[in-house]
Amino acid sequence: MGIRAWLKRRRLDQDDFEAEIRAHLAIAAEDKVADGADPRDARLSSLKDFGNLTLTTEAARRVWTPWWVDALNDQISDVRYALRSLAKNPVFSLTVVGVLMLGIGLNAAVFTMLKGIALSPIAGVAGAARLAVVFAETSNGRQLSVSYPDYQYLRDHDRAFTGLFGTTVGRVNLGRGRSARQAWCELVSGNYFQILGVRPERGRTLLSSDEIAPGRHPVVVLSDGIWRRDFAADPDIVGKTLEINNDFLTVVGVADPAFHGTTVVYDVELFVPIMTAPQLGFRFGSQETTPAAILADRHAAVFEPQGYLRPGTTLANAAAQIDALSATLARERPLADAAERLRVVPFWRAPFGAPLILLPTLSVLVAMGLLLLLIACANIAGLVLVRGLSRRGEIAVRLALGATRTRVVRLLIVENLVLALPGAVLGVLLAQRGIPVLVGYAEQLAAPQRIFFNLGVDSLVIGFAVLVACGSALAFGFVPALQSSRVDLLSVINADASPRGAARGRLRTALVVAQVAVSLMLLVGAGLATRSVEAARTANPGFDPNHVTAVSIDVKQNGYDEARGRVFYRKLLDTARAGAGVESATLAEVVPMGFLDTPARRVAVEGYEPRRGEDLAFMSNAVGPDYFRTLRIPVLAGRGFEDRDDEAAAPVAVVNNTLAQRFWGGAANAIGKRIRVTGAGDWRTVIGVAADVKYARINEPPRPYIYLPALQWYRASLILHTRGSGPVDALVEQARARIAALDADLPILSARSMVSAMRGATLLYDLMATMLFVFGATGMALAALGTYGLVSYTVKQSTHEIGIRMALGATGRSVVMAFLSRGVRLAALGTALGLTAALALTRLLGSLLFGVSATDPVSFARAIALVLGGVIVATLVPAWRASRTNPLSALRHQ
Amino acid sequence: MTLHSSRSDARADLLHGTLDMLILRTLMWGPQHGYAIGQTIRAQSSDVLQVEAGSLYPALQRLAKKGWVTAKWGQTDANQRAKFYRLTPEGKKQLLREESRWSELVNAIGRVMKPVATPGTDE
Repeated sequence: MGIRAWLKRRRLDQDDFEAEIRAHLAIAAEDKVADGADPRDARLSSLKDFGNLTLTTEAARRVWTPWWVDALNDQISDVRYALRSLAKNPVFSLTVVGVLMLGIGLNAAVFTMLKGIALSPIAGVAGAARLAVVFAETSNGRQLSVSYPDYQYLRDHDRAFTGLFGTTVGRVNLGRGRSARQAWCELVSGNYFQILGVRPERGRTLLSSDEIAPGRHPVVVLSDGIWRRDFAADPDIVGKTLEINNDFLTVVGVADPAFHGTTVVYDVELFVPIMTAPQLGFRFGSQETTPAAILADRHAAVFEPQGYLRPGTTLANAAAQIDALSATLARERPLADAAERLRVVPFWRAPFGAPLILLPTLSVLVAMGLLLLLIACANIAGLVLVRGLSRRGEIAVRLALGATRTRVVRLLIVENLVLALPGAVLGVLLAQRGIPVLVGYAEQLAAPQRIFFNLGVDSLVIGFAVLVACGSALAFGFVPALQSSRVDLLSVINADASPRGAARGRLRTALVVAQVAVSLMLLVGAGLATRSVEAARTANPGFDPNHVTAVSIDVKQNGYDEARGRVFYRKLLDTARAGAGVESATLAEVVPMGFLDTPARRVAVEGYEPRRGEDLAFMSNAVGPDYFRTLRIPVLAGRGFEDRDDEAAAPVAVVNNTLAQRFWGGAANAIGKRIRVTGAGDWRTVIGVAADVKYARINEPPRPYIYLPALQWYRASLILHTRGSGPVDALVEQARARIAALDADLPILSARSMVSAMRGATLLYDLMATMLFVFGATGMALAALGTYGLVSYTVKQSTHEIGIRMALGATGRSVVMAFLSRGVRLAALGTALGLTAALALTRLLGSLLFGVSATDPVSFARAIALVLGGVIVATLVPAWRASRTNPLSALRHQ
Repeated sequence: MTLHSSRSDARADLLHGTLDMLILRTLMWGPQHGYAIGQTIRAQSSDVLQVEAGSLYPALQRLAKKGWVTAKWGQTDANQRAKFYRLTPEGKKQLLREESRWSELVNAIGRVMKPVATPGTDE
């Protein structure tokens, strides 16, 4: 049987069937004529005998159609009907779609972030959320990376993971001279690409054979991004040489385009074997000076081993195995002051990782998103209910004609689903448009550092949106639909337009109360966030960043060695101080308030015997002369650094007040005491005590801090700060010009005001406040809209009642007051519920707030005022309109 | 005999089956067109069973779908064009199955209706 014949067999041949019927009629008529009937009568009577032609054809057709086609046809006709009836009521349809779009859009955006940070944190690697990370922890909870020899031991002996790879991110200089720039580079173990399953787009990735001995593997793999941006997608890139940190590495391949490294938020552009770390100048806090020895030093904190657990191995299992390994390691190769223990955590909880830092903020956004969705759903429920009431006539007719209630409810639900899909699609589009705006904002703040978020709107996000849209349309359209189907035929046919259903009234009341309560919670959250950002912005960090520049350079980028670098920075200080309008100039290794802690250095304090297992490590900064004067940090005792504190002078240090208090009981006692900072030479004499400032974040507690003289302890990469009374932009330009005059080929990494350089510290607060504000405003608008709709509908339903009241002598004023008091009663109930919930929930915000308490009365008062105001306006307008109805026309309508 | 095409009706199975059996039986004597099948059943049942076209033609489609009959256009004795149905070997087997099922059913009903009669005897 040919395929066409087969297809024909699968359905009724319409023409053939009709011909057969015609033949039947002709034969039947002939029969009758033969029996003596008149030919015309015979034709007619045979037609009559046959019965219903259409039904017969239909029945014959149904023989051939499978049952599911039948069911589908029913659905399609429902959908078609729904589309027609929705098109007839565009205001309703567009409102529902719009409400869903907002609710879904914001939730899809939050979900995308959650996906990019926790569910699928590494772009281009499937199942990255299943990665587990090993790190070391000291007795007082300080988290550390693992040394290379310890990593090797774990990798070779572990049985819990399918394999352990290691990676650490660092900033490297790419190129030399004017065109040099900085890039994020991951130093990785040889099995990194194999375990992650990342393939090369060109050439090869790194292999285990790239991890034999330090200095023997001068190779690099590029990211697709840098290959396109910096090398114009050169097809012959493999085999070319790149200058990285003044060392030369050969390109062996380009990684898969989707892959941006495993360091969440960082856009990693280069991947090099860990064996190149010594030649690229990475020290990992090692005391060893010969390059080859750094990777052999068990005190060097190189990276956190990570990998996929073997099937069937739980995290607790793996932790126990790693614990046992670490005990064996400590027995076989004992090490003085080693970290206390090794821990295993899922990828998103890895120390130093962006997910751990971002998740608290994100969880607040998730909660806000859900609240907003609730409001949107209450809105839709209200709309469906109101529409259902105004369609009672139509529904009554359907029921009267014999439609079952199931059929009517099904139709109403299909209508909701028909609205849900465009809502989901538009919501996803909204998220897709909105996320790049947020990301662009974050990128701008992070420049010149490159950042990358795995925030693509993919099938997972679309699935989420469709699921949420259909779920909310079903859940919140179902009850009202059910109510609509419970139509009392008699009352509708008697044209009694005022519904007396108590249940319906209760539902409406509940919807108003719920919307008020939830929007109050949203507004409280948004208010707290706004006030907290405001407080963080205006808080005093302990220094004055206004009128100060921050211009960042790295002299290695033009090939300076230490001797030439020292000369350069001396000259730079002299020329910067001489600038017009410059009060003072200085150098610094880091800008304070960079949000993330800078690595702490182990410290020894002369005369202080650390308790067993006590881990003395503090953050530090290398700063130039006049640093405290330039940043206006008070010096409480002794002096700050001066020009004479250089490599020829005796080693000195400045400590902060907290450190002086802790070890010597006060600032004055600290002068002349000695400390030793790991990695920064021998014992140093404390010459001054500076007041405490905020070092990383505005909300950090006071902590010990150490300043080292930059002129004494050489750093190739420094930031020039100049203070002057003129406009800071002019100062920035001046500083830039001074650097260019000294060396036109030295690239300037970033040149901006100190205020903008510190913006990273408030980045999270800013982003969260922006999002919360959007959520709060959207929620408020939706709640107001929903309340307005429900109240105005109630008013419309009461036209009859108003007519009677006014006919009996009530004034317009008293009518308005009656509605208003009803509205305010509902709002008060909603507010009370919302307040209770908000008080319970804002406590969770505690750690994210700064400068305001979780029960801040101002935020609560503002939210209450806004909500009550919204409800009053939403009640007044329709009530006022109702009070102007002509009692006669209202009554006549009945 | 009135037949509905509603497939959700449990009764319909029995009735469908019965009509199908009658049609197959009619075709035992050779190919026939739809009108003639109806007329034959009517004549054989002494005008008791009147098969409506509305049931007959869907039933023929059903049999064709199952492969128990095949259809072919041809000429009647009166030189009219008509579609003739012919029993396939599959259809013959089906008819045998239907017949035995039918006689079992009639027996069973008979035993119920005439409980005094010895089980196993016909009427």
